[in-house]
Amino acid sequence: MKTVETKENAPSQPVLNQNTFSWLWEFTKGKRSTYLVSVVLALLGVACILLTYICLADLIRELISGGKDMHFYVQRGLQIGILWVLRYAFHGFSTYSSHGATFGLIGNARKKLLKKLGTMPLGAVQTRSSGEYKNIICDRADQVEPTLAHVVPEFTANIVGAVAMFVYMMHIDWRVGLWQLICIPAGLVAFGIMMSSTPKYYPNTIKKTKALNSTAVEYIGGIEVIKAFGQSRTSYGKFVKAAKEGADCFIDWMQSQNFWHNFGMACFPATMLGLLPSGVRYCLNGSLAPADLIVLIILSFGTVAPLVTVFSYMDDISKVGEIISDMADVMDEKDMVRPEKSSAQPKDHSISLRDVHFSYKDTEVLHGIDMEISDGTVNALVGPSGSGKSTIARLIASLWDVDKGQILIGGVDIRDMPLSEYNRHIAYVSQENYLFDLSVMDNIRMGRDGASDEEVIEAAKRCGCHDFIMSLENGYQTICGGSGGHLSGGERQRIAIARAMLKDAPIVILDEATSYTDPESEAVIQNSLSRLTAGKTLIVIAHRLSTIAGADRIFLIHNGDVEASGTQAELLEKSPLYRSMWESHIAARKEEA
Amino acid sequence: MFRTLKKFFDFCAEKERKQFYLSIFLGVFNALFIAMRIPAVYVVIKALLEGGLSKKTAYTAAGIIAASIVLQTAVSMKTTMLQTRGGYNTASFKRMEIAEHLRYVPMGYFNSEGLGKVTSIATNTMENLSGIATRCVMVVTKGIITTLVIIASMFVFNWKIALVALGTMIVYLIGTELMIRAERSDSDGATKAQDKMVARILEYVRGIAEIRNFDLFGRSITDVDPAIDDFTDYSTHLETTYEIAMFLLSTLNKLSGVVMMLMSIAFYLNGSMSLVYAVTMIICSFMIFESLDQVGAFNGLTRTIENCVDKANDALSSPTMDIDGKEISPESMTLTVRDVDFSYDTKKIIDGVSFEIPERTTAAFVGPSGGGKTTITQLLARFWDVDKGQILLGGKDIREYSYDSLMKNFAFVFQNVYLFSDTVENNIRFGRPEASREEVIEAAKAACCHDMIMALPDGYDTVIGEGGASLSGGERQRVSIARAIMKNAPIIILDEATANVDPENEELLMKAVDSLTKERTVIMIAHRLKTVENADQIFVIDRGRIAQHGRHEELMKEKGIYKRYISERKEAAGWKLGSRS
Repeated sequence: MKTVETKENAPSQPVLNQNTFSWLWEFTKGKRSTYLVSVVLALLGVACILLTYICLADLIRELISGGKDMHFYVQRGLQIGILWVLRYAFHGFSTYSSHGATFGLIGNARKKLLKKLGTMPLGAVQTRSSGEYKNIICDRADQVEPTLAHVVPEFTANIVGAVAMFVYMMHIDWRVGLWQLICIPAGLVAFGIMMSSTPKYYPNTIKKTKALNSTAVEYIGGIEVIKAFGQSRTSYGKFVKAAKEGADCFIDWMQSQNFWHNFGMACFPATMLGLLPSGVRYCLNGSLAPADLIVLIILSFGTVAPLVTVFSYMDDISKVGEIISDMADVMDEKDMVRPEKSSAQPKDHSISLRDVHFSYKDTEVLHGIDMEISDGTVNALVGPSGSGKSTIARLIASLWDVDKGQILIGGVDIRDMPLSEYNRHIAYVSQENYLFDLSVMDNIRMGRDGASDEEVIEAAKRCGCHDFIMSLENGYQTICGGSGGHLSGGERQRIAIARAMLKDAPIVILDEATSYTDPESEAVIQNSLSRLTAGKTLIVIAHRLSTIAGADRIFLIHNGDVEASGTQAELLEKSPLYRSMWESHIAARKEEA
Repeated sequence: MFRTLKKFFDFCAEKERKQFYLSIFLGVFNALFIAMRIPAVYVVIKALLEGGLSKKTAYTAAGIIAASIVLQTAVSMKTTMLQTRGGYNTASFKRMEIAEHLRYVPMGYFNSEGLGKVTSIATNTMENLSGIATRCVMVVTKGIITTLVIIASMFVFNWKIALVALGTMIVYLIGTELMIRAERSDSDGATKAQDKMVARILEYVRGIAEIRNFDLFGRSITDVDPAIDDFTDYSTHLETTYEIAMFLLSTLNKLSGVVMMLMSIAFYLNGSMSLVYAVTMIICSFMIFESLDQVGAFNGLTRTIENCVDKANDALSSPTMDIDGKEISPESMTLTVRDVDFSYDTKKIIDGVSFEIPERTTAAFVGPSGGGKTTITQLLARFWDVDKGQILLGGKDIREYSYDSLMKNFAFVFQNVYLFSDTVENNIRFGRPEASREEVIEAAKAACCHDMIMALPDGYDTVIGEGGASLSGGERQRVSIARAIMKNAPIIILDEATANVDPENEELLMKAVDSLTKERTVIMIAHRLKTVENADQIFVIDRGRIAQHGRHEELMKEKGIYKRYISERKEAAGWKLGSRS
């Protein structure tokens, strides 16, 4: 897996499909009651606001009717003060519980995603880089939190609050209540025009941002090549152009809607425009008391302004949708279906493939493979690159499930065994050998739970890595570090082989082409591989045909089919393709020898 | 908060900084226009309470509000654009600065992980910054300025009440600052918990193949849940601090409003203030802090801005080399290394190495991994600067050359081939941008990849890489060789690959290497016996020194690393997995 930590396809069109919402809903399980508490608290907060304004209205009326009793005002003032305290206390608790729920929710999402990586086909897991997973599970999940946590209390408080105030105003005087809304149509038109430019500009920003990101990825990833070819000036020029365009597309978009955006923002909260003249008019004709008008003026601050706050969340919500749908994509991957307990035990370690079909991303790459591999034999898969030989190996290793047909081990379909049990039969040796941030001893011990120190050392000795381990600073207690940081590629690989040795799986799958991370230690690694594979059912994806010239059976894979199989001698006789591959290999070999 | 804003403004380039400052200045006017609501209300209340209410009152009030809308729109159109330009252009210029910076960073400095980090900063971090910074600067400055303008106009009515408002605002801002500090010290724990969680998750994700293979589920190494729960707890705890602070700050604002209201009434009752003023003040006391509340709400974002700025500055802090030398055409292609030392992270990698590679000869570097042979070849092409001693090309120190004029003399074939997501043709042409199509084809033929390219869906116009056709390891190698052939440089630095080569490509690859290296100075990290045997000189590099030096026949007579190495190579090449039946 790559470790490049970029999200190469930056913002994509937010996909708020059904699936996103149902997945989100599914995830709120267990936290729904907390969210409900948050809503109730937010509503109590709204009630406090309403009461505050009722108190205030009472106070204003008293003041205007000439009340001179300071005690009354102080009393009302205290009431208002207490109501404010309560309001913010409710609001605080509401936000707090919503945050608590959201943090918990994200924690659960993380756990579920990680668990999912254990149950979906390993091949599907590996289609994303570890950097991408970190992005989805760690970074972007964190970005969801503030919005999700605020949506519940803020939406409740602001929307219900605005509506409550409006109703209260309508109750005092419905005509003025309606008049204050006079600016809303203008504001809506402005926002409508603004939104209507989105389809024109949004795709462009996506395009330019993508272009910028891929230019950046290329420029930085290829900096070595760029400098080595003396092209840094030209490539830098390209980057500058992309960076400029990346900024300009947003600036242009903003420019195009600049008037409507600002006009809308100024218009929307301008309740006074309708309220003041209409209020004056009704006061003049005597149908509205002056005190009521003053109360209405104060109340109108609380009707439209909160709605504007709600608007500002809309952007964030669509971003959340985007992130959630990334998570949903992972969660939607098909799981490997395996029973809890196997129904039958394999009688030996032979492997049969029967009419195996497999498609990768809608393209069928294997078209009905039949293979028989006997217990304890050496078998090689050869073929041009892209022929499907690695795919066959990965299917046998249960990294993917077949689409059609079946794979049997000792007569038992591998899908009838739990993965953990099946894995005990198989060792898959490739270049990707991850060592955990534990001691060398514990890393090797992972091969077999409960193995003693002596057994670990014995395995290390057999793989020829005892000596170099002993020369490490703390011997077997040396911590390997993330990705086995302090060890060379060859050393890491030998430790991984020792681990596989300890596991002692009866079937070994070996990808030769990717087996040597480190040419200098090739011979040593080969020696350990020979020991690891001795007496096992062995399947080699062969790179050097001379390596497997003596194999019991060679399968020549071509275009997703088994073109021929047999011993080297048989294949040389009956397969022109094999013959030409062999000749090419020998020509290269002769140069060497 | 002000410190963060200052930090951000310092981070901006001159022009953008001025744009932000101008937008803040204009913000004062904007605030004045928003505050025009107060005189409108005042006119109505005055008429209501003191008599003289007429249609004219209605028109005046409506006129003031309408003017306020128009003026607000006009000014905020200007400020919005200033801030949008400021925010997005800052991000864009920082990206360029990072790209420019990379040109001067020693090439050997970055491993793939480091490059991934820089890429992420140039893309994600800057994207995040451009959006958030713009918004945050807008809200924070607007909130503070609007409040100040309202307070200033309150001084007209009653200075005592205005003082209370001013005091409240100061306490509020100090409170916000304290809250940020409290959060910062609190967030250390959360950051640690987060780092730990991320590390555990990464370990799990990277090791998932092993975890499944060895059925490690439920063992402590795979148990990420406690780390996740820990982070959840810390975040929740941090949120508690934040909520308490926000509660105190908001309550402060509102209670101060109540005090201002009661003061107005008291002044009215004792006769020092008219009823009209008192009512206007009460209304003011209700709306005064509404934009200030927004400032507090945006606090969390200032931390994000700070993070983004720190990350970008971090990317710009890696060491650089002086690459602006003279345009020099070397007199010969002889490379001379004199007593060179080189350390990396205080670890000495190369220790007093001297040698000479004459023109048109082949030098092979062999030795154990980690011995320093790759570093030596990198030093020759100035991927790094030496710590001591010097390296000369044609008798002149390579540091005297301008980087591009030095690079003209070298062509490289790396072990990890990097091809651009572009057409095959352009990838090959990258070696010499002015080359014609025919020349590209010629180079491709020499590198034995013409047939393979013609078999691609669009031939030379096929786009490779992400979203395009994928090539096998050996095919990529050959395209990179064609690219190097295209460059036609007199010195070739070659890391001979053995891994990832598909069998049917092996022979072609060797032919391609042959046509690239013909008649040139060749410096190679060699793995093939034949190339080593034919080299004019062989350097065996071990622990940063030249352990052995000479021709194959000479070295085979000595007891030492080389002889052992050759026999191991022979053994490896002849390795067989035998039949058992």
